[in-house]
Amino acid sequence: MTQTSTAPAAPPVAKPATDRAGSPLRRFLHAREASTFLALVVLFALGTLIAPGFVGTDNFLTVGQQIAQIGIMAVGVTFVIINAEIDLSVGSIYGLGAVVCGLLMTSDVAWPLAALGGIAAGAVAGLINGLMTVGFGIPSFIVTLGTLSVYRGVTLLLSGGSPISLSSDDPGVAEFNLLGQGKLFGLLPMQLVLFALVAVVGMIVLSRSRYGFNTYAVGGSAEAARLCGIHTGRVKVTAFTLSGTLAGLAGVLGLSFLSYVQGVTGTGMELTAISAVIIGGAALFGGSGTMLGTVIGVAFIGVLQNILNLRGISSFWQTVATGAVIILAVAADTWLRKRSGRR
Amino acid sequence: MTSPATIAAPTTAAVEVTGLSRHFGPVRALQDVTLSVPDGSLTAVMGENGAGKSTLMKILAGLDGPTTGTVRVNGEEVRRFDPATLLSRHRVALVPQELALAQDRTVAENIMLGAEPGPRPFPHRRRMDERAAELLDRLGLRVDPRRTVRHLDAASQQLVVVARSLAREARVVIFDEPTSILSPAESDRLFGVIRGLQGDGVTMLYVSHRMPEVFALSQHIHVLRDGRHVGYWPTARVSPDQVVAAMVGRELAAEFGRHDTPPPAPAETPRLRMRDVSGTGFTGIDLDIAPGEVVGVAGLPDSGRIELLRGIFGADPVSGGELSLDGAAFTARSPRDAIRARVAYLPGERRQQGILPTMSVADNINILTLSRRQRLGLLRRRALRRDADTRARELTVKTSGTAQGITQLSGGNQQKALLARWLSIEPRLMLLDEPTRGVDVGAKAEIYRLFRSLTEAGVGILVSSSDLPELLTVSDRIAVMAAGRLVGVIPAAEATEEKVMALATGAHTMKEKA
Repeated sequence: MTQTSTAPAAPPVAKPATDRAGSPLRRFLHAREASTFLALVVLFALGTLIAPGFVGTDNFLTVGQQIAQIGIMAVGVTFVIINAEIDLSVGSIYGLGAVVCGLLMTSDVAWPLAALGGIAAGAVAGLINGLMTVGFGIPSFIVTLGTLSVYRGVTLLLSGGSPISLSSDDPGVAEFNLLGQGKLFGLLPMQLVLFALVAVVGMIVLSRSRYGFNTYAVGGSAEAARLCGIHTGRVKVTAFTLSGTLAGLAGVLGLSFLSYVQGVTGTGMELTAISAVIIGGAALFGGSGTMLGTVIGVAFIGVLQNILNLRGISSFWQTVATGAVIILAVAADTWLRKRSGRR
Repeated sequence: MTSPATIAAPTTAAVEVTGLSRHFGPVRALQDVTLSVPDGSLTAVMGENGAGKSTLMKILAGLDGPTTGTVRVNGEEVRRFDPATLLSRHRVALVPQELALAQDRTVAENIMLGAEPGPRPFPHRRRMDERAAELLDRLGLRVDPRRTVRHLDAASQQLVVVARSLAREARVVIFDEPTSILSPAESDRLFGVIRGLQGDGVTMLYVSHRMPEVFALSQHIHVLRDGRHVGYWPTARVSPDQVVAAMVGRELAAEFGRHDTPPPAPAETPRLRMRDVSGTGFTGIDLDIAPGEVVGVAGLPDSGRIELLRGIFGADPVSGGELSLDGAAFTARSPRDAIRARVAYLPGERRQQGILPTMSVADNINILTLSRRQRLGLLRRRALRRDADTRARELTVKTSGTAQGITQLSGGNQQKALLARWLSIEPRLMLLDEPTRGVDVGAKAEIYRLFRSLTEAGVGILVSSSDLPELLTVSDRIAVMAAGRLVGVIPAAEATEEKVMALATGAHTMKEKA
């Protein structure tokens, strides 16, 4: 049967239909950021209507100040999630970075070195997360669930259970406080400026660098990426290290802002940071999501909490609302995708 | 030859499919398929890879719904396409290629799943074991129903799935390429079981592209090609050649066969030289590939042919032996090494290992050449886009633009995009696993044409395929593997499907009436 000589009586084979183009508008509506952005716009409108004092430069800058630390963490977490991994330990790393920085400050280390020390502690913690995930080949959910507890324990041990307060009379503290409390041009909170900087660099790395390209490749299909010669392990370890570093930085900013840190500082922040990334459109399956989406997600959470604050709704209810929004955001997205026949 | 028009069923029909179509985006997996399965018969559905057989079976088992068209089972129209409905209400059961069993539960639990005796929340364990034992006995499978499924070999696991469908009192059982995971001896045992079931009046649908077993077992044969129903015959009134002709549809062999061109003269230094090469799943391989030569690797799925390709490429470690590329020692410790040496590997599992599913066509094509388009550490998006456009055009990848998501393309276009990816490194050697799996006929022809122009440029190609007719068509020589060893190398001009199969199955004396 190697040679076939008879042509069977069959209808001619149809050409496969040409793939349909998506118009720019359709593509915009399909982009996950678009729906998050629209939701943010709706929330803004709602805030304008129901929250007294919502509209105004002062209030907006306050929101910016409040979301900066979570935002910086979320930028790191974005890299991890696009890699199809998760980092549950960033809240603990936040605490670790703050406490390490605080201890260095109170030991009279020059403030820039103390700040770098806190960031480095975060970097090492993130590196360990990455090495364990890749090296042991176990899910990062498990690894970082473990280090969530380990890093928190280390932070408590380091602080000895007692809070660390910085006194503005000590040398260097006033300068250090500028990081968290300072205002650029006497207007823009320094933290917000730093967040913007981190987000822009993150955006460029993710969308324009080879590393960013590889992140999407590995997150979409690690095996396919490996067969294309990508060091998948290296890409993932780098993402965890980035996530840890930025969480450490956020912790340092937190200390700078409050001049105060204790062993439990940062508990639960990981959930807010991850929520922001998810609301911003990154899929937990990996391979998709954008930095712009994350920034919008962070802003969404910030604005939501601000509106609830202005309405005088208790922070307990805010927690409920944030959780509900995550579920709604993902459910709405899933529904939209199903409707448009996209997978 | 009978025309593909509707066939008047000789007896009452157990399953009637009318005007069935299934589209996945632009891909027409099934188009207007109409066929009927007589009650109590064994009806074979044949077709090449990607012909739509599996899609049809998935719909009949409720794993997928049709885009248009109807399915009737014993006269009753199926309104809800989900496995529970098909199984409980219409009594249609599927024995899939990839067996879905709870590996850590017992044989009895797997068989009686959904039909547990006793009160639902607390099934009667002893009665469950007894009932499972009865069913296993009926299938001639001697295993303890209390063993966990994980410890059974693939053949026994398959029979556990068959027993499960009997436990649910299935009246129609669908076998989807059941022998693809079986050795010849295990296949024979399965054929015995199937004959037994037929004696009990069970209607069966049998999907395969293996001629001998279809002719031995079936009473009716339907052929699908590119999603269309293109032929029906009572088995007694058709020859394998006629069926093959319907499956292939075109005289690809005549157009693209390499028998007419003289094989490349043995070069001084082979492109790839392997001596006593061993690795996971293969041992002691001696094989040369000349520049411009196509060597086909044939063998059963467990023969180690895929592992050999992966080993050469560095996707899995090679444990021993010598490899050289154009005379220079070559050992790829990782795909990176291989790519640097301009060796390409196209995986057979396109969805899992080939495409980067969340990325665009352009990104999928460009991934190997990013370093050429970098400035100050940043990718030059526009230049990359142009590269991709050019390469996509060269291979006639049909897209609405290379910014389109790769998963929105049809299988054939995805495969062409992946070939475009690998051609970007100007490969010396290409390792191709199932290069036309799930690819429509048109794209297939283009891929074959591409092979030809590549070999004219001196590229060496090692191609592994389960599609024997295709392998015989495109190769200069066929290397046959069995159980991890190279058991023979046949010039394509002398190779026949029977010869190759005889070597591949180790049954050199096997005779087939074809």
